[in-house]
Amino acid sequence: MTPTTSRPGRRAVVAAAAALPFGAALAACSSDTGAGPDLGGGASDGGGEGSPYGDAIASGPIAADDVVSASTWASAIKDNGKLVRGGTLANQVFSLASTTGGEPTGFDAGITQLLAQYILGEGGVEKVEYIDTTVETRETMVENGTVDCVIATYSITPERLEVINFAGPYYLSGTAIQVRTEDKDTISGPEDLTGLKLVTQANSTGIQAIEDYVTDPADVQTLPDNESCVAALKQGRSDAYVLDQGVLLGNSKADPDVTVVGEPFVDDPYGIGLSQENEDALEFVNTFLQEIIDSGTWKALWTATIGDVIDGEAPEPPTPGDLPV
Amino acid sequence: MEAIVENIPLLLRGIGYTVALTLLGYVLALIVGTALAVCRVSPIPPLRWAATVYVEIFRNIPLLSLLILIAFGLPDVGLRLPYFWCGVLGLTLSSAAFVCENVRSGINTVPVGHAEAARSIGLGFFGTLRFVVLPQAFRSMIQPLVNVFIGTVIGSALCSAIAVSEITWVTQTLNIQYAQAVLMFLVAGAVYLGMSLGGAALGGALERAVSPDGHAGGRDRKTLDVAAGAQA
Repeated sequence: MTPTTSRPGRRAVVAAAAALPFGAALAACSSDTGAGPDLGGGASDGGGEGSPYGDAIASGPIAADDVVSASTWASAIKDNGKLVRGGTLANQVFSLASTTGGEPTGFDAGITQLLAQYILGEGGVEKVEYIDTTVETRETMVENGTVDCVIATYSITPERLEVINFAGPYYLSGTAIQVRTEDKDTISGPEDLTGLKLVTQANSTGIQAIEDYVTDPADVQTLPDNESCVAALKQGRSDAYVLDQGVLLGNSKADPDVTVVGEPFVDDPYGIGLSQENEDALEFVNTFLQEIIDSGTWKALWTATIGDVIDGEAPEPPTPGDLPV
Repeated sequence: MEAIVENIPLLLRGIGYTVALTLLGYVLALIVGTALAVCRVSPIPPLRWAATVYVEIFRNIPLLSLLILIAFGLPDVGLRLPYFWCGVLGLTLSSAAFVCENVRSGINTVPVGHAEAARSIGLGFFGTLRFVVLPQAFRSMIQPLVNVFIGTVIGSALCSAIAVSEITWVTQTLNIQYAQAVLMFLVAGAVYLGMSLGGAALGGALERAVSPDGHAGGRDRKTLDVAAGAQA
């Protein structure tokens, strides 16, 4: 038995020193926003006026007063002086927080700011309260009124439509396949994935896409974020990564070791989640979406965000109100 | 409810993984933690230091960080374990540090005179531990070790972040499909509650079995008696 002397001060220092290299290593392999595509408005200039992103937002429409007052949902937001949006600020292409104190940028962030501007008028872009929702909390937060709307690469599904309303679709994404670059000639579509180990994100529709289109995969892993999935793919824990094409293209752009193969094999329509209690919200938001599509703002926003990771011209926008399910 | 009824096999498999992660992690942690505690009270300074460094590292690193390091950091230095074993390893490393400290404080509750008496009748270091110190220390370790067990149960949920399809992972997956978050998480919560209560009940029974006066928490009753006496 040795008597132990307790010197908490020294112990704490030892512990901190011991934990340091781990912390540093962790920081080095955690999500590194620098690895994402530069959205031409992200960290470089805050997405302000003069950038393609800033110009796209500035070109958005503003609703006439009577249009807003005709909708109880929009009137409430106007009285409140801010739009409360549920979503994420950690998605490279769709909604990324600014590191320089500017507004968030990305396709979903842009739609959010355009909607705020549409309802609240000049300066509405800055009157958004961004609340973090996860895939676990999205429906619940819409239903109980914690957020006015959810704009978060939110796929429209029949099950979700039972509990909430979806405005839109405002974007037609597609589920695609990413592989290690050395395998890009052997895998070209979901039919090549039989017997392989697949990985997808836990909060994605990739899970359903694999279930519907891949016969007998060896194993389907789900991980919480994009970085873990890419690590699993590169380290050989999995052979293919199935997810939304926009995100996968962002990965290929940042990392030459991984490549997107083939064309998207499932349509993945994104909608704006709204409470079923606000009857008029759905119509109001669909009108707004139609206006930004007609005015060309939608295409400008696409070009400034998703267009950065997908080659080619902006696609034809979907028809709001034309639900796919 | 259909989300549950239609997926009973998947849910059961998830519960199975949760139980397996917890039991493997905890049993291994008991072994490793006890060995570490023996090192910490041993007369050999390098062993004491090594065990102390171990405890301070693994007690102070968040389990989630540890799991991600094991799952995605180790492959970069050439060690790629299956996800499930990454989970077991993470739970073991973390819980062992807590077990070690509980065993050590249990050992410290045994009066030093007992150890000296054991030495004087010719028992060596291990003999002293085995026949005199540990049997007595065990009694005061039960409740803290139940706490470590509950920590391991709850910690197993974090393994969902490294693709182990335990009950939290199953819950998240079904929620994507059915959009029934509250219901699904109540189910998962009930599983953890059941396991934790089971562990606590087992601990209470053990305590009763080894306590000298035949009921658990004899000390608690004493404090109640004192309180009652104060009122009288």
